Amino acid sequence: MAPDRPSIRQAAELALPGLAIGAVGGAMAGGLTLIAGQPVGWAAVSALTLALPLGLLGGLFSTLCGLGGPFRPGVFAPAGLFWLLAFPLSRLTQEVSTGLILDGQVVLAGGVAGFLAYQALVSLGFAIGFVWLHERLMPHWLIRLAGRNPVARTLLQRYIEHAEALDHQRRNRKARGKGQTKGVR
Amino acid sequence: MDTSSTPATEPTAATAGQEEKVWRAGKLEPMPIRTLPDAPPSVHILGPTVFLVALGVGMGESYMWPRLVLLFGPEIRWLFLVGVTLQAVVMLEMARYAMATGESIFFGAARVFKPLMWFFFVVAIAVYIWPGHLSAGAAAFEEITGIPWTVTAVCGLLLVGVVFSLAKVIYSLLESLLSILIGALVIGTAIVAAMVGTWGDVVSTVTGMFAIGYIPEQALSAAWFPVIVGSIAFAGPSGMQQMWYTLHLRDSGAGMGAHIPQIRGLRHAGEEEQMPSRGFMFDTDNPEEMKKWRGWRRWVTFDALLLFWGVTMLVTISFTVIAQAATRQTPGIKEIIANGEREAALSAMADSFASAGSSVLGVIFLGFISLIGLNATLGLFDSFSRGQADMTYHFVKGAKKMRMSHLYAAFLWGVIAFGILILLFGPADGPSGILDTLAFLSTFAMGAYCVTLLLVNNRMLPKPIRPKWWSNLIIGFGAVFYLGMLLYSLFAYGVVVG
Repeated sequence: MAPDRPSIRQAAELALPGLAIGAVGGAMAGGLTLIAGQPVGWAAVSALTLALPLGLLGGLFSTLCGLGGPFRPGVFAPAGLFWLLAFPLSRLTQEVSTGLILDGQVVLAGGVAGFLAYQALVSLGFAIGFVWLHERLMPHWLIRLAGRNPVARTLLQRYIEHAEALDHQRRNRKARGKGQTKGVR
Repeated sequence: MDTSSTPATEPTAATAGQEEKVWRAGKLEPMPIRTLPDAPPSVHILGPTVFLVALGVGMGESYMWPRLVLLFGPEIRWLFLVGVTLQAVVMLEMARYAMATGESIFFGAARVFKPLMWFFFVVAIAVYIWPGHLSAGAAAFEEITGIPWTVTAVCGLLLVGVVFSLAKVIYSLLESLLSILIGALVIGTAIVAAMVGTWGDVVSTVTGMFAIGYIPEQALSAAWFPVIVGSIAFAGPSGMQQMWYTLHLRDSGAGMGAHIPQIRGLRHAGEEEQMPSRGFMFDTDNPEEMKKWRGWRRWVTFDALLLFWGVTMLVTISFTVIAQAATRQTPGIKEIIANGEREAALSAMADSFASAGSSVLGVIFLGFISLIGLNATLGLFDSFSRGQADMTYHFVKGAKKMRMSHLYAAFLWGVIAFGILILLFGPADGPSGILDTLAFLSTFAMGAYCVTLLLVNNRMLPKPIRPKWWSNLIIGFGAVFYLGMLLYSLFAYGVVVG
């Protein structure tokens, strides 16, 4: 079942779930700014400068899942470490870009070190939410890709192995539901 | 403990003439011995805890505790730490009975003393038929969109009813839905906290949790002590939410719940397998079965510590950081929050962001409050109907002629119809008043379920799987904590909880 020669394109196809979660999370601010009556330009800059890095890095995370290594289904620690670096980087990109575009200057609360340290702390929360959603969306995307993408097929197999115990449990229940529970009353 | 009156495993005559081992627990029907399914890997992301998180992360986390931090300083958060940690242990003990038997804690209570179960049946109706939990979310939605909150609330009620009636398996639908909503909430609050907070905010919020014993003088007053008691009750899942968790655990197929059929939506009620009249027990004398049991305990411990405790803590820390940022940007907000009503304070917190030039954050804040309201509505309506249907099916004469799915639908549509009537014709100041009453009864129910847990787990389970002494001690402390605070508030200040 393992892919013979995984190409970059095949691995990159896996990026969609992470890309979507990161981009939507980042764009949340911009979209709601419009509802709040802020100028469209302001909202667009705010949304784009956060959605872009979060989306790209989210996509990278999904791709890395397809390449094996430490990023495995149901394991949180590698994802936590990934976002420990990626989230502060995204926020730094947003603050710097927004500051330069809208005000012509960049002011980081607590200086660069303080800013990055705080963002790293908050990244834990983002990582938990990201993994939570990623685990929910990724298998659906893999099922769509599995027919033509061997990398997706391998990763899907890993998800299936991970869920094997749960599947086994469900089968047990179905069998018992039809057999033993009848006439118990 | 005295085991003279505790149940025993013994063989009984099975219908096929073979000896069938059963577990006798109380005077109700004994539980046949069945095989315990294999436990899934202990490290996992999704599971029935999503219900508890959806129900638990509510007004306590988003409003009550941030408010107390603004008034008394971050050190007051040690009480939140105690409250949520206690709830994590309660969750583990609730899971013990549900996973060992496939029965709800209500059934367990009936095995000990049937009126105890009826007490919870009545309390559930008294507390949860009121649509108060909808008001904050719908009011926040009104602030964003201008749509009157009663319209949103009524539409929300009808939507919940229709969705749950059409679902094939309600548990699967709700788990997926709540997972996505909670994921969005966690990501969103983290991003907002990242944009408005500072290192100092988060450090003071976290370190404040370890200021054990800190009680400011102002907190010991008739005005604030009841509020603090109410807030502790609202730290994590409040009221009967932990008891309902046993029903979700069963429907997820955890432990012996694998032997119980799932509840289906009204449209698919005909496909539901026959619901057994009691749960099952596994052979606790078999080392292989005990090994699987320990696997299940590891699985639920991961749920309790990382998913429940961790996510609840995370969301509260984020909201507290947001609230601290709000007071920095708009100093006057502290007075508004101290004196104002909930809706006014929530609005003020949102406005403070807008006044600082970040009106987007004000809208996002209100958006989260709406999201929390939606989570609570989905979770509460399902849980209430599930619990009442379970008790009715097993303990109301003649109810077994109906399917569990029909009873579930009857309670669901009953509470929806009542909710709509109250929303349309109820007293104008209903919502806030309802929440106060709910807080009082919630605290009382929580003390009562701690006592129930001690009785059920120590008397109705086989010795090898009963709780350890330290666990009993913590649950006992919980009973004294909830009931003691409630009664102290009542007698010392003449006020219930706020």
